[in-house]
Amino acid sequence: MSKSPPLLVLERITKDFPSLSGATPVQILRNVSIKVSDAESLAIIGPSGSGKSTLLNVIGTLDRPTRGSITLEGDDLAKLDEDSLALVRNRKIGFVFQAHHLLPQCSVLENVLLPTLASDLPNRIEDSEPRARRLLDRVGLSARLSHRPGQLSGGERQRVAVVRALINAPKLLLADEPTGALDRASAENLAQLLVELNREEGVALIVVTHSMQLAKRMRRICELTDGDLRELESTEGDKL
Amino acid sequence: MTSWTLAIRSLRFHARSHLGSLLGAAVGSGVLVGALVVGDSVRGSLRAMAISRLGKVELAMASNDRLFRQKLADDIGASLDATTAPVLQILGTATTGDADARANRVHVMGVDQRFWELAGDPPSFSAISPDSVVINRALADQLQTKTGESLLLRVRKPSALSQDAPLSPSEDTLVAVRLNVQAVVSDSEFGRFSLHASQIPPFNAFVALPTLASRAGVTNQANLLLIGPKRGEGNTAITLDSATKALRENWTLADAELKLQELPNGNGAELRSDRVFIDSPASRAAFAADSEARGVLTYFVNEMRIGERTTPYSMVTAMGAPIVPEEMAENEILLNQWLADDLGAKVGDELTMAYYVVGLARALEERRETFRVGGIIPMQGAAADPTLMPDFPGLTDAENCRDWDTGFPIELSQIREKDNAYWEEHRGTPKAFVTLAAGQRLWGNRFGDLTSVRFGDQAVGTDLERQIRDALDPASVGLQFEPVRESALAASSQSQDFGQLFLGFSFFLIIAALMLMALLFQFGIEQRTSEVGVLLALGFKPGKVRLLFLREGAVIGIMGGLLGVFGGTGYARAMLYGLSTVWRDAVGTSALSYHASPATLIIGGVSGAGVAILTIWLALRKQARQPAHQLLSEGPADESPSLSGAGWTKRRTDLISRLCLIAAGGLIVLTGMPEGLAGAETFFFAGTLLLAAGIAQCASILTSLGASGTSAKIAFAHLAVRNATRKRKRSLATIGLLACGSFLVMSIGVFRLESGAGAAKRSSGTGGFALIGEATHPVVQDLNTQSGRDSFGIDSANLAGVEVVPFRVLDGEDASCLNLNRAQKPRLLGVQPELLAKRGAFTFAKVVEEAPLEDRWLLLKSGKQATVVPAIGDQASIQWALGKKVGDTLDYTDEQGNEFKIRIVASVANSILQGSLLIDESAFIERYPSTSGYRMFLMDAPGEKMEIVSKVLSRALRDFGLEIEPAVRRLAAFNAVQNTYLSTFQVLGGLGLLLGSVGLGVVVLRNVLERRSELALLLAVGFGSNALRWCVLSEHGVLLLLGLGVGAVAAFVAVLPAVIAPGAQLPYVSLTLTLALVLLSGIVWTWVAARFALRGKLLDALRNE
Ligand SMILES: Nc1ncnc2c1ncn2[C@@H]1O[C@H](COP(=O)(O)OP(=O)(O)O)[C@@H](O)[C@H]1O
Ligand SMILES: [Mg+2]
Repeated sequence: MSKSPPLLVLERITKDFPSLSGATPVQILRNVSIKVSDAESLAIIGPSGSGKSTLLNVIGTLDRPTRGSITLEGDDLAKLDEDSLALVRNRKIGFVFQAHHLLPQCSVLENVLLPTLASDLPNRIEDSEPRARRLLDRVGLSARLSHRPGQLSGGERQRVAVVRALINAPKLLLADEPTGALDRASAENLAQLLVELNREEGVALIVVTHSMQLAKRMRRICELTDGDLRELESTEGDKL
Repeated sequence: MTSWTLAIRSLRFHARSHLGSLLGAAVGSGVLVGALVVGDSVRGSLRAMAISRLGKVELAMASNDRLFRQKLADDIGASLDATTAPVLQILGTATTGDADARANRVHVMGVDQRFWELAGDPPSFSAISPDSVVINRALADQLQTKTGESLLLRVRKPSALSQDAPLSPSEDTLVAVRLNVQAVVSDSEFGRFSLHASQIPPFNAFVALPTLASRAGVTNQANLLLIGPKRGEGNTAITLDSATKALRENWTLADAELKLQELPNGNGAELRSDRVFIDSPASRAAFAADSEARGVLTYFVNEMRIGERTTPYSMVTAMGAPIVPEEMAENEILLNQWLADDLGAKVGDELTMAYYVVGLARALEERRETFRVGGIIPMQGAAADPTLMPDFPGLTDAENCRDWDTGFPIELSQIREKDNAYWEEHRGTPKAFVTLAAGQRLWGNRFGDLTSVRFGDQAVGTDLERQIRDALDPASVGLQFEPVRESALAASSQSQDFGQLFLGFSFFLIIAALMLMALLFQFGIEQRTSEVGVLLALGFKPGKVRLLFLREGAVIGIMGGLLGVFGGTGYARAMLYGLSTVWRDAVGTSALSYHASPATLIIGGVSGAGVAILTIWLALRKQARQPAHQLLSEGPADESPSLSGAGWTKRRTDLISRLCLIAAGGLIVLTGMPEGLAGAETFFFAGTLLLAAGIAQCASILTSLGASGTSAKIAFAHLAVRNATRKRKRSLATIGLLACGSFLVMSIGVFRLESGAGAAKRSSGTGGFALIGEATHPVVQDLNTQSGRDSFGIDSANLAGVEVVPFRVLDGEDASCLNLNRAQKPRLLGVQPELLAKRGAFTFAKVVEEAPLEDRWLLLKSGKQATVVPAIGDQASIQWALGKKVGDTLDYTDEQGNEFKIRIVASVANSILQGSLLIDESAFIERYPSTSGYRMFLMDAPGEKMEIVSKVLSRALRDFGLEIEPAVRRLAAFNAVQNTYLSTFQVLGGLGLLLGSVGLGVVVLRNVLERRSELALLLAVGFGSNALRWCVLSEHGVLLLLGLGVGAVAAFVAVLPAVIAPGAQLPYVSLTLTLALVLLSGIVWTWVAARFALRGKLLDALRNE
């Protein structure tokens, strides 16, 4: 953990939102600091409205913090412009949302390959397609490559979304209540998959979740309450 | 997987939501393609008309008043190995046998078989029989006549001697011929034959050439020569050069109306002209052929007087050797014995001579000149030579002095028995001789200053005729080929571009279609916000996301372009149908046919697609600007600005609104109020400012309403207004589109040209003239004088208070808006500028150099250089029909083949002078001496006598084919063109507005769909669903009313001058109808959209949250 510089460092992150009525902004995150290393796994739990999604958005460069600094692989994200942030999102970060957000018009394989279209490098797609097939095979969807999202079950869709998040071999996988919309069995299934992929692909995983079951499978658990992030003790249960 | 695959997948998936955008793009492109195809069609129709009016004719030589031998056509045809046709073309009038129907400006043409060989399609008859006439469709329609009926044609005998020439006989030059209609020829059978480009068919009457030539007294002569390829051959290379060469090889002096005659007693030979006076190029050629040649000028003098003794009506010859010694002084005269005896003259006596010269308007002026008798010569040898008198028509053949027809008054009582005896014995043997210099000074005129050129003995042996011919350029005596086909095609291809015109008319329609497309496209994309969000989250740059959507838009644009090509041809056909029916005034013909070149379709489709793609790109610029997380969670946010921002926006829009309002008011007050001078343009501009003020005010209101805090009581109406403010920009765009559209459609009517108001004013388009008259045959008498009126047997009482400004006319192309072709050489009018200047007639639009107001007409006299003639024309004609501007020049060729330039020095605004260029009469005469008389007249007449004056004059000058119409009506005919354009614009603009109101429906649909959950909540808390629908309807009705209201108020100010003008006729009905239709359509679409959006289980929307 201390050999190499941590993958992600948040230092005293504060996030304010302008309030609708009053002049004083509402503070959602308050001096949040945390370090995440390569291939680590971390769960963030907390009550609804506590700012978990906001924190994840800030980490995922979808939103900028009001104060504080974020460093990803040693790069200060505050110093990057929007275009560079888009590149960071594309190459180093993968997202899984509560809703799968697959494009209904594209097949499973195409949805997975979508992130490769974001950059203009021509040979990325050729490199990526075998990887996409391998990963889809890995999550048990090799027979569904040309299906449309509409033809899949909720759990299958979410697995496609996970593969899509991993297609560019990111360093960091962010999942915002990934199992929130799934039935128990599918949720269990997906949780297992995330954990395995975290290990196999060597990608650091940050999961926002209500589910203690899922949280417990992560190496670390943090709780967000009233804008403060507090690390609970490490769970060892998943180290087997 | 590429971006294109993604675009195609998306298009297919969202096909239904893209259908609307596709329709919008297709309509936009279709209208664009259609407008261009209308242009093609008008051009193509004009081209087809050009080809049908010229058949296979490539070159033509029209010598008008000059006649050449018909045989010249044979000879040139043989040289060129081409079909040549001699034609005798004379203007005439035609009446039916019972004189019920009448046509003026009939082109009576003597033709033979060769003429028909040049027609596009050979006619059904084999030859015109001697007592028959073949007429074209236009003439048949005008006369309501048909095959087998009889016609009376009246033509003017072509005379070699211009009617304006001194000593021209006044004998009746009109001949009437009664003929039976043998056939009515179609346009393709040469019925439309004409050398001038116009879409309005001429009246043509074809007669057998020998018949017409003999009846007109010009047997074997012609004045038009046509050349085309031999039958069965394609376009053999008949070039202008080869034809000119063939002309030079084959022509004779007779074709220049010259003859070389041996003098009696072997005294050599002389060159004379049928035109009496020898054209100066011809006399120069004669001197070039023989350096010993001598000029002779013989003139008719009224009286010679020494003291109390007089001798009337004698010939006097000005010449040199052998009679007049070289050293004789210019003020000396030699008398023959007879005259000396008659006057009792002796050497040294003072002799006064009286003679006529012809001034302008053929005004005869008697002048006097005093000579000193230098000698008396016996009547023998060279001095007793009757051939010294030229062949004056009306004199030469008269047996008796009393039979003289001189064309001017002769006091028969003055002719004594001895005078008659002299005439009988010596004919026109001159009684006195002066020096050539003196004679030319007194009697030289625009037709020439010699009546004969005499050659010495030694020259006669040689081939004199050849030498003279070689030294003479046929063009200088009016024989010149013109590449008529080439210029006809040029005239049609440079014609008024209806493509651009209709593009302009359809502009608003295109804008509306594109806006609708953009609105629908944006709408479609806003339904896909989460897609945008996920793309952003996946690391697509916003620009890249927009590019992905642009690809979809591009496919829609391209498909729209393709559909537009098909739809556009239909639109073009509809427009052509409109042009040949309700908008017929704009083109003056119903013979427009559909033409579309592949290039036009491609250009139209591509630009349609291009514009659609550009519009979509503009619509996309605002997309993918919000943070991804927001897009993923909620969809697009309201635009309600924050309080402080709203304040600023409101202040800004208020400021704009107020500035525009002040500017509008100031404009009217400052420029107009004091003298009521504010012109239509001022008001239009003020109206535009008001429009801007109105839209800005709406923006301000929307802003302040949107930003006002949650009010305690939510009255229902409040809710509606508040809702309209939620999507401020969307609402504003709707208001703006409707306001601009209704403003344009309503206010454009202000440019409708009214011909009635103020027509009596000198500054108006009629120049203050009451009547305008045009004659088929030239009128040489002055209608302002007693004698002129007497000569037509007009009772002067009827013409009291009538003054006539006569114009000489050189036929050319009609350069008015009534001619769609680009006029190459417009008609020239010769006028005395003083007559217009003293009246202050017409209003000048542009002047090349500032001249004092009252002197502007005198600019016509300003160009003193020999090569540039100043001209004034109508501004619209110059700009549109000629494609020129004030200061530009046009090339003309004068009667003697010399090129000269006409420079447009000024233009008058919107007048009856459309179609022609005016030049100074003396410049006109100098360039076109043999174009005789006056053929156009502007007349001042007291208002109440207009009708009687017009009746009296038309009756008196019926044989001249004089047609008189009120100047106001002529102006109205010109104005009808522009007014029709405006109607077209209004109709198409109205269509655009309708489309715009569909856009309102789309906005409603979007607004409501976005607020389904909110509306569901209202439903849940107890509002009825009818109430909800009303809420939606009234909310958008506000937008509709605001838009139309702002537009209407602004338009009202713009058209205020027209509204308060006396006698104004605004198209209230059509305007009200348009507005009502737009309002209705807007309401219907809003209602449909509200229904559609509120249908289904609203409460489900709530549950889905
Ligand atoms: N764009 C925003 N503007 C204002 N307030 C926001 C915005 N996004 C989130 N919030 C507020 O921040 C708080 C935390 O939201 P969120 O991070 O979504 O919570 P969680 O994911 O923990 O349920 C909420 O009270 C929410 O209302
Ligand atoms: Mg959340």
